Amino acid sequence: MRNQFTFSIVAPVALVACSCAAFAQTYGTKGYSPGAWKPDELAKGLSNPTPFDPHNLSGVWSMPTKPGYFERHSLNDKPIKIAPNVPPQMGSDAYPPPMTPWGKAKFDAAKVSYGPRAVAPGEGNDPVSTCEPMGYPRDLWEANLRPFEFVQTPDRVLQHMQYHDLWRTIWTDGRQLPKNPDPGWNGYSVGRWEGDTFVVESGGYDDRTWIDHFGNPHSDQMHLVERYKRVNAESLELDMTLTDPKTYTAPWVGDKITFVRAKVAIFEEICSPSEEGHFNDIIRDPAVGKSKP
Amino acid sequence: MRLRIATSLAMVVGLVMVGAPLLAHHGTGVAYVRDKEVTLKGTVTEWFWANPHCGLLFDVTDEKGEVIHWGAELGNPHSLSEAGFSRDAFKPGDKLTITGHPAKSGAPRLELLHLVLADGRVLPERSVKGNGVHLDDPSQ
Repeated sequence: MRNQFTFSIVAPVALVACSCAAFAQTYGTKGYSPGAWKPDELAKGLSNPTPFDPHNLSGVWSMPTKPGYFERHSLNDKPIKIAPNVPPQMGSDAYPPPMTPWGKAKFDAAKVSYGPRAVAPGEGNDPVSTCEPMGYPRDLWEANLRPFEFVQTPDRVLQHMQYHDLWRTIWTDGRQLPKNPDPGWNGYSVGRWEGDTFVVESGGYDDRTWIDHFGNPHSDQMHLVERYKRVNAESLELDMTLTDPKTYTAPWVGDKITFVRAKVAIFEEICSPSEEGHFNDIIRDPAVGKSKP
Repeated sequence: MRLRIATSLAMVVGLVMVGAPLLAHHGTGVAYVRDKEVTLKGTVTEWFWANPHCGLLFDVTDEKGEVIHWGAELGNPHSLSEAGFSRDAFKPGDKLTITGHPAKSGAPRLELLHLVLADGRVLPERSVKGNGVHLDDPSQ
């Protein structure tokens, strides 16, 4: 058991200390957390090929982390320490408004892999574990790790999310939101300028998606209002408010997000159901004892 | 055993710094024991390179000659590419020394921290954010 089968469980204090120090480099150091850039490095070498125009959202954007904070994965969230050495983003949770009974039942049915209700992915039902569409706004939180891009045309703003290669169309040709659109994974969105603020209203969302990886639900009545503002050449602010009377008893007002220009190009990051299925078969399911290795 | 622990210690000191953040992703903090590590010598049987997760299967033979089919969970190909992995990084038959957090269930699965190839090369070479930013490069 202890020869070739080298099963050296490394538990000495020294090693634990090393591991903690390692995590501290990225997990929990002030201004530096998993998937985040150091705020004081954000301005270095960032390209700005065109003069600053507050009405031009074009470019690749990503989400930095607040100093002393951690990745956020919802309209807002907060750290909840659930176990030693668990990365903070896995111990965090969102704080939505009180749910209706319909919303609470949907929330209770979600078996998530993050936050205080987390179970192993092999035992959960997160749609993303089988590459089901993430929908919007959930894919937006991926900007912690994977940037998104705005592309402006005369009659549309296209929001291209790297993760799952999601393309969201925001119509800017003056049309109104349809009264009762067929639900879509990414909803139906229209945008307009109010001064230097780009206001996006959207609805018609398919209620099978989650708002975030904590399993917060929404219905097909979800209505989003997003207010984007270029505050300078390198920063883009977003205020989002979610209204969904079938699910929540009050509007969910998000904390302001400041996106920064990302130095990288969008690349293909499709979630392939067959490939993720194989990954589940050979890794995730055996890891929780659901199938034999 | 002492030698192996010493080896593990040396690797952990040098490499956990670059390994942990790269490989932290969906639900791994729940499925694996984050405050324990195992180090195994194994032979690759499958290297699975796919979005959004990669996997490495390898066989470990115990002292009774029984072959245990182990597997390691890794992150997405883009991050891994930036960290020195590639589609053809491993092939069946390669000998590796693999360190990771073991599965809570006791099943032979782990969350990869780092591994050492037969030629002594260590992966990951560096810590990388999901969009390719090198966390240990102060110029970025």
